[in-house]
Amino acid sequence: MAMVIDAGGDAVRRYVEDVAVGDVAPVVRHVLTRTDLVRYAGASGDYNPMHHDEVKATAAGQPSVFGHGMFSMGLLGTAITGFVGPAAVTSYRVRFIRQTWPGEQLVTSVVVSAIRADGGRHLVDLQVSLSNADGEVKVAGQATGVLLARA
Amino acid sequence: MPAGGLGPEPRKGTDVTGDDIGSIIGRSTGRVTVVVERGTVANFATAVCDGDPVFRDRRVAAARGLPAIPAPPTFPFAMENWGAFPELHAAGGDDGETGTNALAEVLGSLMEAGGLILHGEQELEYHRPVYVGDVLRGESRIVDAYTKEAKGHLMTFVVNETVWTDDATGEPVVTSRCNVLHRA
Repeated sequence: MAMVIDAGGDAVRRYVEDVAVGDVAPVVRHVLTRTDLVRYAGASGDYNPMHHDEVKATAAGQPSVFGHGMFSMGLLGTAITGFVGPAAVTSYRVRFIRQTWPGEQLVTSVVVSAIRADGGRHLVDLQVSLSNADGEVKVAGQATGVLLARA
Repeated sequence: MPAGGLGPEPRKGTDVTGDDIGSIIGRSTGRVTVVVERGTVANFATAVCDGDPVFRDRRVAAARGLPAIPAPPTFPFAMENWGAFPELHAAGGDDGETGTNALAEVLGSLMEAGGLILHGEQELEYHRPVYVGDVLRGESRIVDAYTKEAKGHLMTFVVNETVWTDDATGEPVVTSRCNVLHRA
């Protein structure tokens, strides 16, 4: 099966000492395809035809099928877990701002906005967004991850 | 924001749009029990372009100090579509038997007049990670509903909250808030 996976696999454990406010997580770039939309529909169970049925989407006045908002949030989540770790996210919220279209390159932005203590835990706040190659923002929000301390 | 849960109880087919929208706050939108499975989690990771083997291989998860394969952070939004099997609901008796669904009711009323339904915001709060092998119980209700006028369109916002708890221990796992809007 041909399967293109262009993100993840970063198993470097980051400790709280390794991050500073303003740090930028490794960027995930992905060109959205119709196959992505079908794969996400199947994996999520969201079969809204606007995301996989070109005939229905154009009949509804859309220029083509378009991406699931939750695919955008999921792709951005891949960049977040790649940075803080796969089981380290304590909160994640986004606003859905614009639709995504097949052929667009989607680019993640994950920036450390604060590092704080919460009881015995070290929390890292992140400003997160997903844009296309022209800088048009698709989703934007905040996430928080918990990191271990070396010391 | 209207006060919650004090309005008249809308019936199926009742117009709960416009000024009456606040009457749906507090109403149940479903109850479900799901099992978190390896194949479903691995497939979801692939669908969000995440090739990290930790989402597929228990040995990798263990080497990274985790008790089981974790789920990607947005998996909780999708899990009830694949992990809710009928026998999981037998013991409670009431799962899946929630009568009219307040969210479907209000969105149905709005769509009868046309317009567009959009996912406006999504928030996930994790009390602990979701792991393969978990059996989770989700209870959903409307926590906010309001209308706004924007650029000549009447916008209706409905916030649906699902609280997921561990079915065995009752501990909270994930709280999900989904803000859906209808643009007339």
